[in-house]
Amino acid sequence: MSASRLPGADARPVVAFSFDGQRIEARAGDTVAMALWAAGQPALRASSRDGAPRGVLCNMGICYECLVVVDGDTVRGCMQVVRDGMDVRRGGKS
Amino acid sequence: MSGERIVDADVGVLGAGPGGMAAARALAAAGLRVVVLDEGHRAGGQIFRQLPPGAPHEAIAEPPSHAHGHALLDGFSASKVELRSGAIVWDARPGRLWFEQDGTSWLLRCKHVVLAPGAYDRCIPFPGWTLPGVITAGALQVMVRGFGVVPGKRALVVGSGPLLLPTVTALVSAGVQVVAALEASSRWRALRALPGVLGNGARLREALWYGRKLLAAGVRLQWGWTVFGVEGDGRVQRATIGKVDADGRPRRDTARTIEVDVVGAGFGLVPSIEAGLLLGCASRLLPARGGHCLVVDAEQRTSVAGVYAVGEACGIGGAEVAMAEGELAAAAIVRLERGAPIAAAVARKAARERKAADALLRAFAPLPGLHELAQPDTIVCRCEDVTLARAKAAAALHGTSHRAIKVGCRAGMGPCQARICGPSLQALACGQPFVPMDLPVAQAPLKAVRSETILQAPQA
Repeated sequence: MSASRLPGADARPVVAFSFDGQRIEARAGDTVAMALWAAGQPALRASSRDGAPRGVLCNMGICYECLVVVDGDTVRGCMQVVRDGMDVRRGGKS
Repeated sequence: MSGERIVDADVGVLGAGPGGMAAARALAAAGLRVVVLDEGHRAGGQIFRQLPPGAPHEAIAEPPSHAHGHALLDGFSASKVELRSGAIVWDARPGRLWFEQDGTSWLLRCKHVVLAPGAYDRCIPFPGWTLPGVITAGALQVMVRGFGVVPGKRALVVGSGPLLLPTVTALVSAGVQVVAALEASSRWRALRALPGVLGNGARLREALWYGRKLLAAGVRLQWGWTVFGVEGDGRVQRATIGKVDADGRPRRDTARTIEVDVVGAGFGLVPSIEAGLLLGCASRLLPARGGHCLVVDAEQRTSVAGVYAVGEACGIGGAEVAMAEGELAAAAIVRLERGAPIAAAVARKAARERKAADALLRAFAPLPGLHELAQPDTIVCRCEDVTLARAKAAAALHGTSHRAIKVGCRAGMGPCQARICGPSLQALACGQPFVPMDLPVAQAPLKAVRSETILQAPQA
C-alpha cells in the first residue's frame, strides 16, 4: 500500500509526530490514522488474541479498530487530530 | 462548581449531518437558541465531509446533489446555531444530553431534542477482512473527500447498494485504479429500484451522473459478484472474488484471484439508534431501511415527548430525506414555540423524499446468503476476536438471542458495543441467514469516554 495525497498545493503547515519512535510528517488537520495511512502505515494496533495487525475499518469513530496510545491515553486514531510533537504508539492488547 | 459546564438551549440537536444542519438552521431562523453536538471535526456529517482548511480539493468530483449540501453548510455556518464539534454524547434523557468535549464533562439542557445521528456501514465478515487495508466504503470516502488521502494504487470495491457509486467515483478522482467494482445484487433485482429512480428527477440526474463517471473511467459494475476473501502479509495484497446466487450465496466454482492493495466494502448502512433507545424511543424492524429504526409520526415526533428523530435514524434514506425531515422536525418545534403553522410544502417534501428512497432501497435489502462468506476461523467480532466457530458454539450452548450469544462468547462486548458485529451476528451464529438481530440493549455510556467524564458529570 503506497498511499499518498491528492494533487495540488497544500497550504497547511507540516506537523511532525512520533509513531513507535519513528518520525512521521503530517499536515495540520490530519487525524493520526489518516497521517499514518498516507505515510504507508495502515497497521495501528495489535489484536488481543494473536497480535495480528489491525487498522482503520470505519474511519468515523464507530469501530474502535484504530486504537492507538497518544501521550499515554488510548484514543481512536481516526478521531484524534495530529499535534506537533505528539507521541503515538501502536495500540496493544486490550 | 459544575455550573460552567452546563449549556442551556431551546433545542439540542445530536449530529451535524444533513438532517441535523437542516433542523438547526430552520430553528435558529425562527429565533430559537440551538446547540448542535457532533463528534466530527467539522460540520457536514459523513456525506458532506469537508477537507481541512488549506488542503487541495480540485481533484474531487462531486455529484449534482452535493450542491444542496454546500448551500446547507453555508446557511448553517452563517446561522446563530452553536456547533460543538468533537462532542461525544454518552448519556441522554429527555431534555438532557451529557457529552464529553476536549476531555471535559458537559451537560446540555434543552426543551426539545432532535436526534440526527446518521448511520454507519453494515459490515459482513469474510475471510481476511481484519487485514489492514480492508475498510468500509464509508471509510474510503472519508479518506478521499474528508482528508485528501489517496487510499492505494489498486482498489477492489465490493458490497451492495447505491453507495458503491460514490465510493468508486471517489477512488477514480483520487487516481486509484479500480480493478473491480462488485455489486452483490443481480441486475434483475436492482431493476426493482428503477421506479424509485425514474419517479424522482433529482435521483435520476444523480444516477446518470454516476453512470457517466464510471463510463469515463472505464469501470464496469459487475452484478452478482462479491469478495470471497482477502490475503496478504500484514496488509492487503490479493483478493479472491466470485459470483453469488440470487440470495447472495457464494458460488465457489467461479472464484478467481486479483492483486489489489486496498478493499472497500459497503454492504449498505445501519441506522444509528442507540441514543434514541436510551431515551426510551420506540423502534421497529424495517429490513429494507437497514434494520431497527426509530418510530416517528408524520411530524418526526418519536414516542417520547420532546424527542424528535430525522434522517437515517428513522431508516436509511439518504441526505435528501434527512434534510427534508430535519426541516419538518424544526417546523413542528417552531409551531409549538411560536405558534407558526407547519407549511404544507415542508411536510409534502419529507413524505415525497422518503417514498422515493424506499422505492430505491428495497432493491438492495441485505442479501442473506452473504453470511456464508465467513469461514469457521473468520473473526466475526473484531473487538473481542471471536471467530465464527466460537460464536456458533455459544449459540448452540446458550441460545440464539443476541444477549445469549454475547454472554456465551463475548461477541459484541467490546468498545464498539456491537455496532460492527451486531447486525449480522445472530444470522451468522445461528446458521440461519434470514435471522435479523434482536433490538440492541442501549446503555450509558453510549460511547467510550474517560471515567472522569462519568464521575464528574454535571447533575441534571
